[in-house]
Amino acid sequence: MIYLDNAATAPLNEKAFLRAKDFITEYFYNPSARYRGGDEIARKLKSARKAVLSNIANDGFDLIFTSGGTEADNQAVFSSARRGNAVATAGEHSAVYECFTQLKSRGVEPRFAPLNRDGSVNESELLRLIDEKTTFVSVVHVNNETGAVNDICAIAKKIKSINPRIVFHSDGVQAYGKIPVRLTQDIDLYSISAHKIGALKGTGALVKNKTCNLQPLIFGGGQEGNLRSGTENTFGILCFCYAAEDILQNLRENGARLTQYREMLWELLEKPLFERISPDDGSPYILSVSAIGLKGEVLQRILWDNGVVVGTGSACSSKKPHSRVIEACGYGAKTLDGVLRLSFSPFTTQEEIKRSAFEINRAAKELKERLF
Amino acid sequence: MEKVVIIRYAEIHLKGKNRGYFERVFTVNLERSLKGIRHELHRISGRYLIANFDEERIDEILSRVSRVFGVHSYSLGLSVPNTLDDIFAAAKSVAPQSGTFKVDTHRGDKKYSLTSMQINAEIGGRLLDENKALSVDVHAPQGYVYIDIRENGMALVFGQFFEGAGGMPVGTSGKGLLLISGGIDSPVAGYMMSKRGMNVEYLHFHSYPYTNEQAKDKVIELARLLSRYALTEKLLTVSVTHIQEEIHAKCAAELNVTLLRRFMFRIAERVAKRKEAKCLITGESLGQVASQTIEGMTSSNAVVSLPVLRPLVGFDKNEIIERAKKIGTYETSVLPFEDCCTVFLPDFPAIKPKLSFIEEEESKLDIERLVVEALNSIEEYRF
Repeated sequence: MIYLDNAATAPLNEKAFLRAKDFITEYFYNPSARYRGGDEIARKLKSARKAVLSNIANDGFDLIFTSGGTEADNQAVFSSARRGNAVATAGEHSAVYECFTQLKSRGVEPRFAPLNRDGSVNESELLRLIDEKTTFVSVVHVNNETGAVNDICAIAKKIKSINPRIVFHSDGVQAYGKIPVRLTQDIDLYSISAHKIGALKGTGALVKNKTCNLQPLIFGGGQEGNLRSGTENTFGILCFCYAAEDILQNLRENGARLTQYREMLWELLEKPLFERISPDDGSPYILSVSAIGLKGEVLQRILWDNGVVVGTGSACSSKKPHSRVIEACGYGAKTLDGVLRLSFSPFTTQEEIKRSAFEINRAAKELKERLF
Repeated sequence: MEKVVIIRYAEIHLKGKNRGYFERVFTVNLERSLKGIRHELHRISGRYLIANFDEERIDEILSRVSRVFGVHSYSLGLSVPNTLDDIFAAAKSVAPQSGTFKVDTHRGDKKYSLTSMQINAEIGGRLLDENKALSVDVHAPQGYVYIDIRENGMALVFGQFFEGAGGMPVGTSGKGLLLISGGIDSPVAGYMMSKRGMNVEYLHFHSYPYTNEQAKDKVIELARLLSRYALTEKLLTVSVTHIQEEIHAKCAAELNVTLLRRFMFRIAERVAKRKEAKCLITGESLGQVASQTIEGMTSSNAVVSLPVLRPLVGFDKNEIIERAKKIGTYETSVLPFEDCCTVFLPDFPAIKPKLSFIEEEESKLDIERLVVEALNSIEEYRF
């Protein structure tokens, strides 16, 4: 089985899993317990926090562990967008987008900035939506469907120069561990997720600028500095930390190699059967294409039966006919129908790229023949 | 004093000389529906009693009984010897704690020493003496004490009648093959026919990979829910993928659905004959969608010789929905897994297709080969 749906979720990083394993078997203590066992776990968590943060942020940042990217996004939006208007891009993941659609009923006006054809945000349109009443802005770092990268540092800087009181958030779920990230002082909040880099589902974090005031979504025992109650998922967090160490160590090599693979795969896909949606300078981990006029979901099942696993748009929203995000890029129905998202991991090999290109071509040609 | 579930049956008593047969089938169905729960089933004249049952599972027993066709009504009550003292002891535990009540006696044993009115007065009087918070209201009481004096020295005492599923015991009206989709209608159509005593088998058409596994799982779940009434044990599925592709590639787009339905009917008829089913059953309702016009139905009927029963033909959508909710299939039917890919749905389907046009388009296809190929794809799911 060749797995090219890593942007939906990545296979387990076994090394990280084995290193963390003791924390469900032997060191199972509650980190809030004040006997030595608990203290030890608490220390471990502290260093895990540092490890996850290192390489993406300096001492001006902290993080709270959450149940995943979605919770982190929810907390960012509902904690900060409390009056006036809030601005996001039309390319946000549902975890931000759906929060924004809720804002209206809470008395906050949601605004969405249009996208460029590759899925990145149209910057000048975004900036035009910002005014003195804007309290919150969210710009996805890597578009999870096209792989387009928004230059969040530059965007955040421009936004803050218009209105410095704005809280700036970015969903970094597809960026963390995959492209170089360095959070600047203009960025207030940044969401990340563990299972996209080979750790577990159900673990994520909201990175926060120490100057940013955050409100809790979940109340209880006061864990995570009173910002996220609930006994810490120690095993999940340590797994996250070890997987992060692993992937961050080889970030640049992985990026260079996968960029090459991404381009190779695109070269191997037959034209004009396929149209490219992803930009050249996007995430090395995502190649979004369309088999024009065919149904992505049908191709996906044929490919599964032939040993290649691919995505169609975003796995979380596959129940809707077309991808909201790709539609916002300005494509027509025929292209939207055929969207396939091919996403890689550091373990993807050149051989797999070649074989999957062959299978994807074959499936599309066959399907076309059967239907027309 | 013993706790019992009293079951009264519906139309079976109308069946004259066949009564013995109907009762035997009814007994088997009751036993099947109570499978896995400790109980004893007794037949007394005109009633069935479930006795010696697992009391912790009484709610489940009652809900299972509520789904057996042929049950007119049922009650949870007490079985006691028919002396007044025993009846009174049972009546005390059935009567409300306070408020108004009425005693209503029915005498199956006409030789009993007291008349129904006398028993009402006697037991009612004792209940009033015993509990000062009670009073009698014979017109609109808040609670009832029903007393049913049976032959063989036994009386049944209970407080409530629950309405049963009605209809006839499944298996007394032959066998039919239901064309079941993931929608709201076809499970209701199956329910209606099994309510009239028909043994209903299920056939589902899928078009993997154009439809997904979740759509199939949904149909399996619908079939399982329906089987709580219909007592069927399996679902058959057939792939019509290749048929849909051929129609899509070779025939006029507006006839896509019409032609597919003709294939479904042909396949269903062959399956039905193998299973010795005497008819096809569909959930069609006149005019509901483009293919459910009288012309559409005629064009499908034209390719089969078995009768096609459409128990919902005169129902409005909301009437069907109401029934689906009652049966418990509605929530599953509305899950968002479609059982037809939009690829095959024409923008403007033919509403009144002419038979000559249909046959002309169909002649472009190798019908027999496609039907046989589909029949070879049959899979069976047990639940």
